[in-house]
Amino acid sequence: MGTAMTVAVAVSAFAFGILVGSLGASAKLSHSLALNVVADVYTTIVRGIPELLVIYLLFFGGSGVASSIAAAFGYDGRVDLNAFTIGVLAVGLISGAYSTEVIRGAVQSVPFGQIEAARACGMSRWLILRRVLVPQTLRFALPGLGNVWQLTLKDTALVSVTALAELMRVTHLAAGATRQPFLFYGTAAVLYLMLTTVSTALFNRAEISANRGVRRA
Amino acid sequence: MHRHPPVSDSAPAAVVVEDLHKRFGELEVLKGVSLTAHEGDVITLIGSSGSGKSTLLRCINMLEIPDDGRVVIGGEAIALKKTRGGASVPADSRQVERMRTRLGMVFQSFNLWTHMTILQNVIEAPVHVLGVPKAEAVDRARMLLDKVGILAKADAYPVQLSGGQQQRAAIARALAMQPKVMLFDEPTSALDPELVGEVLRVIRQLADEGNTMILVTHEMGFAREVASKVVFLHQGRIEEEGSPDKVLTNPDSDRVRQFLSRHLSGAA
Ligand SMILES: Nc1ncnc2c1ncn2[C@@H]1O[C@H](COP(=O)(O)OP(=O)(O)OP(=O)(O)O)[C@@H](O)[C@H]1O
Ligand SMILES: [Mg+2]
Repeated sequence: MGTAMTVAVAVSAFAFGILVGSLGASAKLSHSLALNVVADVYTTIVRGIPELLVIYLLFFGGSGVASSIAAAFGYDGRVDLNAFTIGVLAVGLISGAYSTEVIRGAVQSVPFGQIEAARACGMSRWLILRRVLVPQTLRFALPGLGNVWQLTLKDTALVSVTALAELMRVTHLAAGATRQPFLFYGTAAVLYLMLTTVSTALFNRAEISANRGVRRA
Repeated sequence: MHRHPPVSDSAPAAVVVEDLHKRFGELEVLKGVSLTAHEGDVITLIGSSGSGKSTLLRCINMLEIPDDGRVVIGGEAIALKKTRGGASVPADSRQVERMRTRLGMVFQSFNLWTHMTILQNVIEAPVHVLGVPKAEAVDRARMLLDKVGILAKADAYPVQLSGGQQQRAAIARALAMQPKVMLFDEPTSALDPELVGEVLRVIRQLADEGNTMILVTHEMGFAREVASKVVFLHQGRIEEEGSPDKVLTNPDSDRVRQFLSRHLSGAA
């Protein structure tokens, strides 16, 4: 049961992290100094403080911030973020900081001549983004994103402090109730290991297919 | 050896460059260059390294934005404007994109899209920029790949091809847009010597078919053979221009003479 919740948090947080990471990478690569600074502050803070602290900050501050944002849009009343949402936001923000760096590096690895060739054919910026930049970036980003995914999966365990019934929390409760902690924690370790192994295999396959044009097929 | 027939000045102008200026920071790379390519012209741009040949070519399709002067493609001037900071920018990026579809560019380093097969490279812009139906684009791409002699490589990826084959694929990619003018920037400079011939053969065929082309090259023999006009650039200005026989055999300018004596090895 907890495993399903862990996967749900991890997948949502990873996806949110990629979204944040794409925005963060664009901000870091943009010519706007303000955006550069915002993105740098974000990655420095999130990577510089303990991850558990990020979760606590969001858990105790998140609903307040969400309420004031809602109020700014004319909604009065308290917005209560549930534990799942907070978990996804917190782990996603952590994941996003690492994704930002991975995606930025990948964008910079795309040979500039290929972008120029696309411009020379009359392709619009949007078309170049969609047809050349994103597919090439993905290829360079996949190995790094695979690592981020593993971190994200393991970071979900920290969400157990918010009492969300994910794998770690469920294990903790079961271990306490049955007095067989080693059995339950051991089982949890095996489950985490299975998740990471399966996902590593999936990432490897994605890398091979994305690299068709790079290594000889 | 056959020569390109002189192109009449009464042929319509395909590309007109007027008083072009381009600076990179403090460095003024183009100092007022004017040039006209009439339909059917094959203009070869020569000159020593750093004289501004690539910059001139790249200003024609707005990969570099000139600071001053005009570029007119098929009678339509590309509209530029100044930002508040004084930089030159296109007034309308859609117009620039439309102009670029009429100019095929071939780069020294091929610049094929490595995540696509050769066929996909060739149909990409016709399908997504011009809106040509895919089946039609594929037919035409196969015809072009056959023409440049690499139809057998249609489903290969660029890394699987030799440099000469990649450059021929890049030529096919440019031709697939049915451009009015082809721009070549040292198309054989990145190739091993034994692969140069196969690419020059394709370019020569395009010249013989009457395509309008502007070609930067260090291959003097080839320049003489295909050109209807040779333009010699020196430090951002046109030092001398004229028929290949005139400029390459009996130039007025001492600079051209010196340049040619240094490039004797390339003479046919
Ligand atoms: N993007 C750029 N930024 C700054 N300087 C540049 C840039 N592009 C070209 N230059 C400079 O402008 C000058 C002319 O360059 P250009 O590439 O047009 O010369 P070229 O005639 O094509 O030379 P080559 O035969 O070596 O290719 C050179 O001094 C070069 O260093
Ligand atoms: Mg050059």
